[in-house]
Amino acid sequence: MSLFSLRGRRPPLAVVPDTPAPQPTLAESALEHVDALYSLAMHLTGNASDAEDLVQTTFARALAGAAQFQEGSNVRAWLFRILRNGFIDLARRKKIVLEIPDDTHDARSAETASLEQLRYITASEVGRAIATLPVEYRLVVLLEVEGFSEAEIADIAHCAPGTVKSRLSRAKVKLRAALQETR
Amino acid sequence: MSDEADRLITAALRDHARIPAPPRLHAKLARRYLAPRRPWLVASVSALGGALAAAAIVLLLVHSPRPAIDPANEAVGDHLRMLIGRGLGVEVSDMHQVKPWFAGKLDFVPPITFLGDDDFPLAGGDVAVFLGHKAAQLVYHRRLHVISLFVFQGEVPDGDRTIEGFHVVMWSRDGFGFALVSDVNFDDLHTLHAKLQ
Repeated sequence: MSLFSLRGRRPPLAVVPDTPAPQPTLAESALEHVDALYSLAMHLTGNASDAEDLVQTTFARALAGAAQFQEGSNVRAWLFRILRNGFIDLARRKKIVLEIPDDTHDARSAETASLEQLRYITASEVGRAIATLPVEYRLVVLLEVEGFSEAEIADIAHCAPGTVKSRLSRAKVKLRAALQETR
Repeated sequence: MSDEADRLITAALRDHARIPAPPRLHAKLARRYLAPRRPWLVASVSALGGALAAAAIVLLLVHSPRPAIDPANEAVGDHLRMLIGRGLGVEVSDMHQVKPWFAGKLDFVPPITFLGDDDFPLAGGDVAVFLGHKAAQLVYHRRLHVISLFVFQGEVPDGDRTIEGFHVVMWSRDGFGFALVSDVNFDDLHTLHAKLQ
């Protein structure tokens, strides 16, 4: 008996239609980013109560406007954009200064942490140094921490990619000076 | 700024900038957005009658496990909120001034007698919410580092944990739970732990 005839005697395989795994809902996808959203909110507002309110407002706005969300687009970036807009509203209500002071030259001339010191930075020093940054600098730095590209940060922060690049650079110069002061 | 400095700052931010959300926020959002009420379910429950529904609710309350809250994670989150936030409720270096400050703000007296010393000076205290309980937060310094001690009525599992670069030492005694959290090393935390006994 040839191999071909053996194969021919096999019962036909049952055809099982592909049943794709259920897709997570928008709410389920959004809830994966609570920690990242809260972390940004905490650094922007500086207090837990406002940060929690901001995250809750972000979720309320996002899920109320779920129809505007285009399937396949980036849920995470969309949520961060809503949170950033919510923070701008909050800042206006609380009269938080959003303008970036023109003190770049001061930061460049300030004493900065040495490379050796930078290797041993603690979490509390990082927290205090971030708090010294203007909020728009904080925003770009923390979005970079979350792994967003410069183009994505520009979209979330409503500015040009070139502006993101320069803000990141200036923010790090200021952070280095602040890290020296907070030691 | 040199590439090396840029790289080190970026690494430090990645390692230390993230602040985890408190478990109560996770729970609140999950309750609100993952368990929408369904009209048919509401109608069915109503039809069961008052006594049956009440009994079912009581059973649910008794047997439903609470959302798991990791005390070490909560300690790190609360410690970070203090670091990022706007200072302490009372900033003094004498426990005799800190303890009276808690009167009326807590429904217990924190069982702490260590007043701080040269190695671990006391910086102050505040009221925190820890694992859903009102808690005393005492803050000590170790060189330039900050150490939070949370004291609340309840229990935590004894042991050491490290979360996001922070070390946490937890223990329970006489109906109180204690959590020390800081970015100092475990040796320093254990030394302070011994002084608090």
